[in-house]
Amino acid sequence: MKSNTTRSNIELRPVYGPNDPNADAYSERFGNPGEYPYTRGTRAYSGQGWIQRELSGEGDAKRSNEQLKYLMSIGQTGLDVIGDSPTMSLMDPDHPLARYTVGTQGVSLCRHDDYRELLEGIPLEQMSVSSSCPSMFTVASLYMLAKERDISPGNLRGSVIEWPFYAEHCSYAYKMPFDLHLRMSCDVIEFCAREMPRFHGYLEDTYFFSEAGLNAVEEAALGFVEIRHIVRTLLARGLDIDSFAPRIAILTNCSMDFYEEIAKIRAMRRIFARMMKEEFGAKDPRSQAVNIAVHTSGLSLTTEQPANNIVRGAVQTVALGLAGVSALEISTFDEGYRTPSKEAHLVGLRTQQVVDLETNINSVQDPFGGSWFMESLTDEVEAKILDMVNDIESKGDPAELVNSGYFKQFFHGTMGRYHHQVHDGEVVKVGMNVHEMPAEEDTLLRDISEEKITPLFDRVEQIKRFREGRDHPRLLDALDELYGVVQSDENMLEAVIACNEAGATMGEIAGILRQAWGTPYDPYGHLESPLGARR
Amino acid sequence: MSSIRVVVGVLGMDQHELGAVGIAKMLRDNGMEVIYTGCFNTPETIVQTVIEEDADVIGISSHSWEYLYYTPELLSLLEQNDLDIPVIVGGSVITEEDAKAMLDKGVAAVFGSGAVVTDMIDAVRRLVPDDATS
Repeated sequence: MKSNTTRSNIELRPVYGPNDPNADAYSERFGNPGEYPYTRGTRAYSGQGWIQRELSGEGDAKRSNEQLKYLMSIGQTGLDVIGDSPTMSLMDPDHPLARYTVGTQGVSLCRHDDYRELLEGIPLEQMSVSSSCPSMFTVASLYMLAKERDISPGNLRGSVIEWPFYAEHCSYAYKMPFDLHLRMSCDVIEFCAREMPRFHGYLEDTYFFSEAGLNAVEEAALGFVEIRHIVRTLLARGLDIDSFAPRIAILTNCSMDFYEEIAKIRAMRRIFARMMKEEFGAKDPRSQAVNIAVHTSGLSLTTEQPANNIVRGAVQTVALGLAGVSALEISTFDEGYRTPSKEAHLVGLRTQQVVDLETNINSVQDPFGGSWFMESLTDEVEAKILDMVNDIESKGDPAELVNSGYFKQFFHGTMGRYHHQVHDGEVVKVGMNVHEMPAEEDTLLRDISEEKITPLFDRVEQIKRFREGRDHPRLLDALDELYGVVQSDENMLEAVIACNEAGATMGEIAGILRQAWGTPYDPYGHLESPLGARR
Repeated sequence: MSSIRVVVGVLGMDQHELGAVGIAKMLRDNGMEVIYTGCFNTPETIVQTVIEEDADVIGISSHSWEYLYYTPELLSLLEQNDLDIPVIVGGSVITEEDAKAMLDKGVAAVFGSGAVVTDMIDAVRRLVPDDATS
């Protein structure tokens, strides 16, 4: 930032004084860590720091399993897995459109066998599994794996992302109607609340859409619009707020705007607590206290002078340590080109460990609490977030706004705006728009950053062979059963699990969901439904 | 003379649209007509759009290595259809080495992460002769 305003255009004053000297306001506005409204943290002081993990997933399940084990061997304390673009878009690797990208930007997963191989040898009862892969399939497979290993599903920990509002427009498209995507999310949350009560069936991921160039206020506001709509939908199903709200968590972004990112996280904790208690009537303190995990901004990184990205990750980690987050992944130095290399994983994790273990950062919780500046900034960020939520909701039913393209247009606006900001130097990026270096001199870490991951052409053949070897009548019966469930009000998870057991692939299951909803089985027009004449 | 018509799109399963949207906006700001095709394009859909829209130039934005495979396919498909339309490829994942390889294969211009917008605009104007848009 070059000017004295934040990314959200809040003006920074050079000096801050006590703007609310009334001590009685303390418990109402802040509370001690672990006390409502959780501004200062969701838990009383533990000194334990955060779950340290790095984004992983590359090639097939076997290669990714090796990657997970490597990360655990160098001190990772939680897992974070992302699928390749087809997997993230509910597409099997042998789909014609997937051919050049299988396993290159995440792991290729399309069967329960793949999840089994991915998590082979990982102690699921001890390790929290945070998955960015499609939630319905991750939850189905984790549940099945727990059963296979004689672990109670109730002991599984981790999270899956629900993103019905925005994924279609600025991330990984499911090519599904919004109502169907929302139904899938709500079914997952409901299933987890019942069967996997320690598992977060709803991670509100504001990270991915904020990478469309949003500022901190916009990111949080859109996140709360989605949370509120999903909560209302679940309440309308007759669920008790305290049956699922304890397992809502948020995954946010962290840009380089140091102070504002800390204020954002403090403000989000307070907004969530008040919303849950006052608006939705949550009584369980765990429903009011929201854990916030963070993925540092890939957009803040540059392909130029990749070593600078290590510094950015370290600065962001310090900010998040000060804000008090529950888990953290650093976008690594090679992010501009690829998903993390082994070297980048090591540097990312070591960065977290250095900040965690060498700086005393965890000795004091919410060290900014009571700072005139930070409390003032937190108040201002909070007010702006709430204003924007109200503004969006005043435009109409948020679901209608999704369908009318309101958010798509919004994201296109922020993408264009960000492009201008970088181009004009309003967003300063050392090595990119200031302190540039001739390409021939910019060599540090470049060889690692530019190393490519070859598409898994063999995997395509493997899945084609797998299809042929299945018990087809059993498979078709399971898919047909699912078709009927989609058209009913029943929760779809059990039928999806039955399809998994019958060897169905994710692409097939997603296709049946679309078909039963009255939309094309393959939105790209290449594949026919296996149900053929049956439906 | 009418304005230059540019087809802008992203290929395959690459769903990082930020660069494409940004470029489309800048081309429009500079008086060009942009036919924005978004994500999930194949060489076939791009060529079809070029024919239907009578475009002068193609701009492919990329944040995935898929472009390395699709771009040569796009070039040969254009040739098969007797379309002499320049193809420009841009994106932060493009390395110096890959840029050279693309130019060797017949891509008209390549822009990596540090590219300057005026250079891109100039390239489009240079590649499209005045009489092509008249």
